[in-house]
Amino acid sequence: MGQLRIEVTQSEAAPEITVLRFEGDLDNASIRNIGSSFQLIIEKNSTYVVADMSGVSMLSSAALGEIMGGRKALVEHGGDLVLACLSLPIKTKLTLLGANRIFRLHSDIRSAINAYKWEFEGKSEVFTLSMPPALRFVPSARQFASRLAGLKGYSRRDAFRIETIVDEICNNAIEHAPADSKRNVALTLSIDRRKVEINVINASDPVKLETLRRMLSGAKEPPQPTIEDRRGRGLALVKLLSNGLDIDFSEQGTRVHATKLKEE
Amino acid sequence: MAIDTANYQFCVKFPGSLEYIPAVRKFVSETLLANNFDPKFTYRSEIIVDEICNNAVSFGCVSVDAVVELQCMVHGDRIEFEIKDEGGKPDDLKRLTEAVKKRPRKGSPRDMGKKDSLGLEIVRMLSDQITFETAANNLTTVRVVKLREEDGEAEGDEAAAAG
Repeated sequence: MGQLRIEVTQSEAAPEITVLRFEGDLDNASIRNIGSSFQLIIEKNSTYVVADMSGVSMLSSAALGEIMGGRKALVEHGGDLVLACLSLPIKTKLTLLGANRIFRLHSDIRSAINAYKWEFEGKSEVFTLSMPPALRFVPSARQFASRLAGLKGYSRRDAFRIETIVDEICNNAIEHAPADSKRNVALTLSIDRRKVEINVINASDPVKLETLRRMLSGAKEPPQPTIEDRRGRGLALVKLLSNGLDIDFSEQGTRVHATKLKEE
Repeated sequence: MAIDTANYQFCVKFPGSLEYIPAVRKFVSETLLANNFDPKFTYRSEIIVDEICNNAVSFGCVSVDAVVELQCMVHGDRIEFEIKDEGGKPDDLKRLTEAVKKRPRKGSPRDMGKKDSLGLEIVRMLSDQITFETAANNLTTVRVVKLREEDGEAEGDEAAAAG
């Protein structure tokens, strides 16, 4: 049990975000203080607020109602209120009351700030994998990409297409690498709200590289039933599934870059 | 391809957020399974990865753009997990140092550490060595070594089913 203290500060990492820290009991006696805090925030024209709940020892239904009222006012001003750092009992209570369907809950302040940047500033999240040039490493890499896409709100269909693109590009990267290559294949996924950028860099085999160049420039002869056709089909599939595909060659190796837009 | 099937490494870099850890640990376990590791060894490795990633994100990521890097180095006799983060607050670093340097507990489960240090206790139980170092720029590296023969996993690293 403890008397409520409320602290309103601006986030250092993102000054446009207000951090509202509650410490003590959010009980019926605290309703007026909660209301005043939201009024102050709105008067300052702050709209996006993260409530730091790490110091909250109890939460009454009436106080929760007041916080919901605060959120409603912020939403009306084009902002939002999210809750962060909830203890397990408080989180359980919010879930039982169905408040988890109204508030977005974050494990910590950093995650809440990142969610804001993702939502409102188009920030992308970047993941990099490095794996040996062997085909057996590809399935786990493509499933990793698919899981991340699902996690970031992409549909199952999108996630599966992203998985297919990653699979084809990584397979190509491994098959086209020089036979004596020990260099790892690098896969980078850059995910934002609207698209996923896929980059795969591998060591280049000069002979196969020339074939690929000719294929891309349109100078390659019509496909013959050889192993190269199978590779060509993979790239054609990537072209079909993605919204952009380009390849560049440098001393660092071959970089294949595909973009997949989120389908609404 | 010319990879050494007994000695190789793979790596994953991800933003310092707890939400990505399940995907990272699944990536590691699926990769180990694809490389003929025993399911029991793989699952224990997955637990180790989960714990060290949780520690790195929870205590070693301070800035909004913090990134965690996990390297898995596979050798004939062991696997090494090396996790790097940007380094936490002085108190967290002190706690980590104490937790790593602490002698393995041999008491009953009741003697186990407090809830907040349970992660490293679990890692210690499932692995053979934990070391820790901090660079001048606060970059923190935790290295966990797990011997391969301990759990009696299948020998050999012939290529498993390809994608």
